[in-house]
Amino acid sequence: MSEQMILTQTDLAERFPGKVRRDERKGYEGYIVEADALLQVAQTLRDEMGYDYLSSITGVDYLPDGYMESVYHFYRTTGGPALVLKVQTPRDHAVVPSLVSLYPGAEFQEREAWDLLGIRYEGHPDLRRILMWEGFAGHPLRKDWREPYYEEDAKPFKSRWPDGHVYRIEDKNPFHKNVDYPPDFDPDQWVADNDAALYASLAKIQSTLDSSLKTDTVIVNMGPQHPSTHGVFRMVVLLEGETVRALKPVMGYLHRNHEKIGERNTYIMNMPFTDRLDYLSSMSNNFGYALAVEKLMGIKPPERAEYLRVIMAEFTRISNHLFAIGSLLNDLGAYFTPMLYAIEERELILDIFEAVAGSRMMCNYFRFGGVARDLPEGVYEKMRDLAFERLPRRIDELDLYLTNNEIIRARCEGVGVLTPEQAIAFSASGPLLRASGVPYDIRRADPYSIYDRFEFDVAVRYHGDVYDRYLVRLDEIRQSIRILQQALRDLPQGPILAGKPQYQVRVPPGEAYGRVEAPKGELGFYVVSNGKPNPWRYHVRAPSFVNITALETMAKGNKVADVVAILGSIDIVLGELDR
Amino acid sequence: MSDPVTFVAKWLEAYLSGLGLASGWIAVIMAALGVIALGSAVLLLDILLVWVERKVVARFQDRLGPNRLGPFGLFQPIADVLKLLLKEDIIPQGADKFVYNLAPILALATVIMLWAVIPISATVAGSEINVGALYIVAVGALGTLSIIMAGWASNNKYALLGAFRMVAQMISYEVPMVIAILIPVILAKSMALTDIVESQTVWYIVLAPIAAIVFLIGAQAELGRAPFDLSEAESEIVAGYHIEYSGMKFGLFYAGELLHALTFGGLFATFFLGGWRGWGAETYPILGIGYFLIKSMFMYWVIMWIKYSFPRVRIDQMLNFCWKFLTPLILTVLSITAILDKLMSGLPYWAYVLGMLLSNLVILYFVYQAVGRYARRERQRVADPEKFRVNFPVKSTASPSHLP
Repeated sequence: MSEQMILTQTDLAERFPGKVRRDERKGYEGYIVEADALLQVAQTLRDEMGYDYLSSITGVDYLPDGYMESVYHFYRTTGGPALVLKVQTPRDHAVVPSLVSLYPGAEFQEREAWDLLGIRYEGHPDLRRILMWEGFAGHPLRKDWREPYYEEDAKPFKSRWPDGHVYRIEDKNPFHKNVDYPPDFDPDQWVADNDAALYASLAKIQSTLDSSLKTDTVIVNMGPQHPSTHGVFRMVVLLEGETVRALKPVMGYLHRNHEKIGERNTYIMNMPFTDRLDYLSSMSNNFGYALAVEKLMGIKPPERAEYLRVIMAEFTRISNHLFAIGSLLNDLGAYFTPMLYAIEERELILDIFEAVAGSRMMCNYFRFGGVARDLPEGVYEKMRDLAFERLPRRIDELDLYLTNNEIIRARCEGVGVLTPEQAIAFSASGPLLRASGVPYDIRRADPYSIYDRFEFDVAVRYHGDVYDRYLVRLDEIRQSIRILQQALRDLPQGPILAGKPQYQVRVPPGEAYGRVEAPKGELGFYVVSNGKPNPWRYHVRAPSFVNITALETMAKGNKVADVVAILGSIDIVLGELDR
Repeated sequence: MSDPVTFVAKWLEAYLSGLGLASGWIAVIMAALGVIALGSAVLLLDILLVWVERKVVARFQDRLGPNRLGPFGLFQPIADVLKLLLKEDIIPQGADKFVYNLAPILALATVIMLWAVIPISATVAGSEINVGALYIVAVGALGTLSIIMAGWASNNKYALLGAFRMVAQMISYEVPMVIAILIPVILAKSMALTDIVESQTVWYIVLAPIAAIVFLIGAQAELGRAPFDLSEAESEIVAGYHIEYSGMKFGLFYAGELLHALTFGGLFATFFLGGWRGWGAETYPILGIGYFLIKSMFMYWVIMWIKYSFPRVRIDQMLNFCWKFLTPLILTVLSITAILDKLMSGLPYWAYVLGMLLSNLVILYFVYQAVGRYARRERQRVADPEKFRVNFPVKSTASPSHLP
């Protein structure tokens, strides 16, 4: 931590006496801010101290202490560690001022916290549920909320092993008495009215359109079943001819309350579960979660494990970007040909994953303090061959055929422009941010693991359009190959796990935010431990989810075809978006 | 045995008159039999096309394609058809049933109707009407009608968007395509397709390469194949006009689309590649059928090649390309061809051919220069790096010198 950083941090408590105090709890960091001073403090942070990037907003329900906390992680786009702010609010009347006016990127994250935890963000322009459906009763991440078929607070459920036999509670009693409907609920009479508010907001825009030429507008639902939404994502689009006048994203169709399940699981049980977030890059997900828990436990993996982690994470990045480029071209209408050529290389990378982790996509390879298995025989040579021979050649080939294609350039250049100021304000991350001219790469800006040892360039482009996002991905693949070549060259011998393998890790109380530069952007895991075998709070800051905030701004005024391309250029995965 | 089709026809005619039928009736029966024979042959070819399309796409995409059913997966289309026949036939709520059901029939029928005037060999042609080129244009436009009908009757927004796009596309691309057809007509001095083929001692692609290219582009648009497949753009409007069709009705659209592509391959061969002409085709007309099919299939393959290599253009780009580039270009070529044709009418044929080719090459050179300059200017307008550039110093621990 640099000297200047310490200075500003001590400043904050002195600067707002009585409003801001240090978080003195053991294992916690940052400041606790009074709710009424939050906006003022955030403004100071953004305008005077350079904390222009609001990475994550989430809430924690401290049920035993009787309050809730809204947690903010601020960063500087020039690099450096986080500044953590917390706002405490009573559980029964949880109200916190909204930061959307200062950081537009807070919009979806605040909606999520409201949806799952019931913290109301005063001043939020559109505080609706986002992941759960409108008629849902309660806020599932509150610790006193209990779902149908509720058994116990935390796994492993003792009730499932009577006399050593396993059964599923659902088999035993399909209509358990704790299935809870509102008192006057009649399923036959109920009408899904989730969309009423949505359509109303579009109708408002409809009425304000300039009507010098009398044209009709039409509302089209793109999704949830649509080939180009990359899953069950839905965009409600107001069209005037082919031009998009307004766009509202609707999500949550794949919601499974990952975080609630995560809080039930023990720490190690969550590791395979993170694979399912961004199922195209499970190694990176493992990485982020392992970092967060290791930070809490205060351990470091041995050298060889660190190298293996970096190698796997970079291979993941390559495979993910190949897939992203392929599907972007698909969205542009190149009927699967570039996609299938890109996927060919991905298959070879997945072969390596299969060899080391036993699974091609759901790798579950990382452990707290190391990795699960060492390299089997012959895999090292395979990886060398890929990193030194095959991949560089094939990437050049892709570059040759795609980059200067006249139609691709015509379709992508100048489409979906996001200026650097907008990109930072919307908390965009990953290729989306870097294509807008902000060279912010966590591997450089706030290095984790052993990334500070490698020589690589931060890929950055300056136009912020779809074409530059494609180019940034291509550049990043090249840089990843560079890292791989160095890591494979220096890969040391030695143990792959610190200490002896353990199924139940002991995690001291405290909080930790582990973040990695996942292929899609900043992937953060906010974990709170209370010393028990299960995390008290397990929050995922998913890059797809936050990046999608900027979609409407980018899409407005473009054609239908461009919206699809823009969405493809953000590169979302619904497993992570809906969690 | 050099001309089996004529032989069979002669024999049938003799047999019928032997039965004592009036000559009027014989003509009617012969015509009906001809229609049945040609239609069946074309539809049989269509079944094969399903296999060809899938196999060729697979090869373009580094896959194997159908290879389980029969030798080289040749029976795959039969399985496809069986599957389509067994599928539930769905008519969406609020659809206009009559129009909805009529559209797929029209889609396939108009394509088959095009084959009426294409000369397949020296002696085989469905009908030798003397305005064959006009007939092609008129009937070809009917196919568009089926798409509009399908899009409108489906009561679906995507389908409607697809139909809108198709209308815009058809109205636009019909223009350069028709003008491109006019150039072979000028060269052959006849609108009958049989005459056009017969006069091609030198293939017209040599005399009029620009017209051939424009015709190919127009055909690609008329077919709704990438990069002009906006009407069924899978990634944008899901399937466009045929989104609501299931089972065999979808099958008819699909068959119509494939056959349409082959038909345009055949038309291209007729107009620019000498149709059935080839070594020995005049003395042995049966060879002509083979040459014609080979040429059509080759053009079909080219159309597929383009389709599976390129991304889709956007609707405004598509319209701009047509009205601001293709139409002026082909109009220029048409007028120059017409003038040169008049001026060079006295010259020997080899000089005539050379003159036409040179004029085309000169136009092509200037067009290439102009388009290049336009593209560079557009690119500069879109991409002004300094305007968006922001320099954020990044704290770097490893190699600080790499940043721009």
